[in-house]
Amino acid sequence: MSYGYGQQGGYGYGQQQAHPGHPAPGIDQNWLSGIFQSVDKDRSGHISAVELQQALGNGTWTPFNPETVRLMIGMFDRDNSGSINFQEFTSLWKYVTDWQNTFRSFDRDNSGSIDKNELKTALTSFGYRLSEQFFDILIRKFDRQGRGTVAFDDFVQCAVVLQTLTSSFRAFDTDQDGWIQISYEQFLTLVFSLRS
Amino acid sequence: MAYPGQFGFGGQQVPAGAYGAAPGYGAPPYGGGMSGYPGQQPYSGGPPGKTYGQTPTIDPQIQQWFMSVDGDRSGRITALELQRALVNTNWTQFNEETCRLMIGMFDKDFSGTIDLYEFQSLWHYIQQWRAAFDRYDVNKSGSIEGHELQQAFQLMGYNVSPQFVQTVVIKFDHYGRRSLTLDNFIQSCAMLKSLTDAFKQRDPMMTGVARLSYEDFMQTAVMYKP
Repeated sequence: MSYGYGQQGGYGYGQQQAHPGHPAPGIDQNWLSGIFQSVDKDRSGHISAVELQQALGNGTWTPFNPETVRLMIGMFDRDNSGSINFQEFTSLWKYVTDWQNTFRSFDRDNSGSIDKNELKTALTSFGYRLSEQFFDILIRKFDRQGRGTVAFDDFVQCAVVLQTLTSSFRAFDTDQDGWIQISYEQFLTLVFSLRS
Repeated sequence: MAYPGQFGFGGQQVPAGAYGAAPGYGAPPYGGGMSGYPGQQPYSGGPPGKTYGQTPTIDPQIQQWFMSVDGDRSGRITALELQRALVNTNWTQFNEETCRLMIGMFDKDFSGTIDLYEFQSLWHYIQQWRAAFDRYDVNKSGSIEGHELQQAFQLMGYNVSPQFVQTVVIKFDHYGRRSLTLDNFIQSCAMLKSLTDAFKQRDPMMTGVARLSYEDFMQTAVMYKP
């Protein structure tokens, strides 16, 4: 593909990591059950968005990105209850730890957040071919701390948003030439739908 | 070319000039207000408003507000400080994204913070939206319901379908009440304006359809996403 919005399989890292509904292999269920119970503060047997947000750390001592939390609940809440049961939690756990490992591997200087160059390396390795200017926009948009870098929670949101947008683009780009025709309202709907 | 049947168009193309032809289109809720939106300097071409031009004067009341919002006394307000200070009519806190969006509109040097003068402009901006919100909240329920939002968008000059309005309500309502609080109302109106402006630039003939490259599409969507 000459216009390069990611080779098949190369882009859309997050999707490959998610296996909603399938228990994660190789993780001690008892151990995970203990974690589930400590996150489930009100002992309802379900984890709410608020409980999940409190349990997740982004390495900056600031509250975890609420959009990322909603994004993940939306992704793993198979029964659309608005919360996460233990079964769903095991998949979510795997998803988060996979992303953590990815994030750490691109955080070369172990600063806990990734700068523009590290972000570029990460996204390029996922298969994205994007301009220098685009990465400036990404940093400005996903840097919630105002430090010119992207923390873990914002990185996950960034990757999922890019993946969602690229699949939307692909769906419109029927002749695969890297250009789409889109109507005013389709365009509006697409961007508004990015809110999770 | 208009993707018949999708997104509730029923096979119809958007009539030429339907979006953005109206003179008042994309205007702030009141004439004379500012029309800033993310990604663009709200004050390009000089500061707006009547009090500007020389050294702007600061309303003592606003100065007091500023000091109480500036929790760490840094002389600048961050999105988080702003979030702590702003409440909706139902006493819920403003959502984080709207606060970041508004800081971004008035933050001229991309520092992620605003100073006292920028805060004054922001204050007036929020007051205008609050008044607009009250006007469009016809049944005085304290929130904007779907039909009120449809009416609001129409009066602002946007020609959008009921299906689109439904999408907005579903996406911006986190309380399950099928209606928008002030923060979500501001956010969705600001987004609609930015996205419409961006689309118009790419559809100079006003056909209702634009042609976008992958990079352009990604940049525009990321820039104006919620």
